[in-house]
Amino acid sequence: MMEFAQWLSGTPVSLGIHELDWLVPLVQTIHILAIAMVVSSVFMIDLRLLHIVGSESIPETASRFLPWIWIGLLLLGISGITLIVAEPQRALPNPAFQLKMLLLTLAVTFIAAFQISLGPRSKLWSQADQSRPAIKFIVAAFAVFVFMLCCAIAFAGRLIAYLQPG
Amino acid sequence: MEQEGLAWIGELLSRLENTPLAVAIAGSDWAFPIIETVHVIALALLIGTVCVVDLRLLGLASKARPYCEVARESLPWAWIAFAIAVASGTLLFITKAVEYSENAAFRAKLVLLLLAGLNMLVFEFGTARDAAHWDSARSIPWAGRVAAALSLILWVSIVFCGRRIGFTMTPS
Repeated sequence: MMEFAQWLSGTPVSLGIHELDWLVPLVQTIHILAIAMVVSSVFMIDLRLLHIVGSESIPETASRFLPWIWIGLLLLGISGITLIVAEPQRALPNPAFQLKMLLLTLAVTFIAAFQISLGPRSKLWSQADQSRPAIKFIVAAFAVFVFMLCCAIAFAGRLIAYLQPG
Repeated sequence: MEQEGLAWIGELLSRLENTPLAVAIAGSDWAFPIIETVHVIALALLIGTVCVVDLRLLGLASKARPYCEVARESLPWAWIAFAIAVASGTLLFITKAVEYSENAAFRAKLVLLLLAGLNMLVFEFGTARDAAHWDSARSIPWAGRVAAALSLILWVSIVFCGRRIGFTMTPS
């Protein structure tokens, strides 16, 4: 990993990014705005799953916000890769970064599962199912867990800067 | 601070930096990244919920739902997120109060925050007073759309300035 990171840091692309000293803060800004997109969308869906708001059905709420989650994740991927290419040795061998990627994989899996099972085109969500206490509990726990995952990912992301060697 | 009249501000900021709370946060390995993460999550929620309302005002999203309903479901959370962002931001600020207050990006961020707040107040107490009628008229007045566009521009700039602070502070 260290050798790959070292090689990457010597490539023209990596060096080129550093020529423009406003580029890294700009890409980081896009990264933060994409975080806002994902975290807020998860939050708005969670408000519905936890029955804190209830003016529309769960699939309706999901159809409003799930697209923003996927667009946000795409932007996070693009901006994230740009930041890694700019400073490969800062991210790739870093345990905080590796933890972040692990948690991210888990979060994406959960969100995909939600899209498939409870999303707008799902047929799994019947009125009878909605009112069963066991189902309500599982859905609520799921909602809280995914949000906590997002917070943990953000924390791991912050720690990258703090776990730099030397 | 050069000017004599404002010397008391420098005094106050120095004393803030030396309060037990500020010293404890600055001295702890974990406090700063934890508070920073809270700040990031809070501002993510703030910008996201404000965006939901702004995009509705611009007719770009949630078009099927009345404005008042969208606002009612989102704005209270925006205010809660704002309060948490200010609280966490203040905790970060006091650890290096003097240096932050002399940082150009930080000053720009404060000015932009004030403008964003002003924009929201003018909208809430001026433009949005007849918001109930917008749903029946099925159109948002231009003042509402201007406020929404300004809001989006200001918040994106605030995030950018926030990042610039990180790049222009001297490492401890």
